[in-house]
Amino acid sequence: MSNWVVLVYKIPREPAAGRVYVWRKLKRLGALLLHDAVWLLPDTSWTREQFQWLAFEIKELGGEALVWESRMMLPGQDETLVQQFAAEVDASYRTILTALQHAAPDLSALARQYQQLQARDYFQSPLAEQVRAALLAARGGDDV
Amino acid sequence: MKWVTWEHVGVDRMACAWLIRRFIDPDATFVFVPVGHTSRLPDAEPFDIPGVRLSHYRGHCTFHTMLRVYELADPTLARIARMVDEADVVQEVALEPAAPGLDLICRGLRLTSPDDQIAIERGAFIYEALYAQLSGAAGH
Repeated sequence: MSNWVVLVYKIPREPAAGRVYVWRKLKRLGALLLHDAVWLLPDTSWTREQFQWLAFEIKELGGEALVWESRMMLPGQDETLVQQFAAEVDASYRTILTALQHAAPDLSALARQYQQLQARDYFQSPLAEQVRAALLAARGGDDV
Repeated sequence: MKWVTWEHVGVDRMACAWLIRRFIDPDATFVFVPVGHTSRLPDAEPFDIPGVRLSHYRGHCTFHTMLRVYELADPTLARIARMVDEADVVQEVALEPAAPGLDLICRGLRLTSPDDQIAIERGAFIYEALYAQLSGAAGH
């Protein structure tokens, strides 16, 4: 079924800045951390390049990294992973929906969060449409 | 001079190709190798390939690195570098609303071009237009 790209890495504990940089980058890419060891993304030409670049950055920071393509071998594994990806973005989409219910929400900040979330919504969550509609409604517009 | 990079050019490689022809080497010719290939063509300068001199550096795109290496201190080019950074490298702070659009247009240009050679020529129109607009009096 689906293919995945996988990254494992090791980076010196000090300086902390390098370690934090890599961690945040992985979170921004929306990579899934499995068993505190392996980072996973669905395989697209974009994610593939992102991992390749990150591996070189890790080496620059004095660490080691391995990147490879993979395919799951047990039934149901792909589905479980897709659900885990979905759960992460859905939680963030829900945070935006909740924030929109408060009085005078910061619409431009929420719109920006929505855009950033879209970039790592690899499996097109149905909540994305809901957030989009809620943002437009909050703005008071009637267009799509 | 001959320059080599990965095929399937996108926002960063298109920007670099434009920068090379416009500001560094007007007679540049470009060679494209498969993604993942670490090219060691003897007579060609590689760019936007991990691990080479002209590549991503400290979270910045290759275009940004090229400005530094070739000492191109032009504020308009710096602004374009910021856009390419935001389009190509996942960034925490986004200051250039044009960046995601630039990314989409460059991806689309590659899709509608028969090969990378033609894609970078078409991409050059986009960057030339961007440069003209941003270096105008208003700068936006």
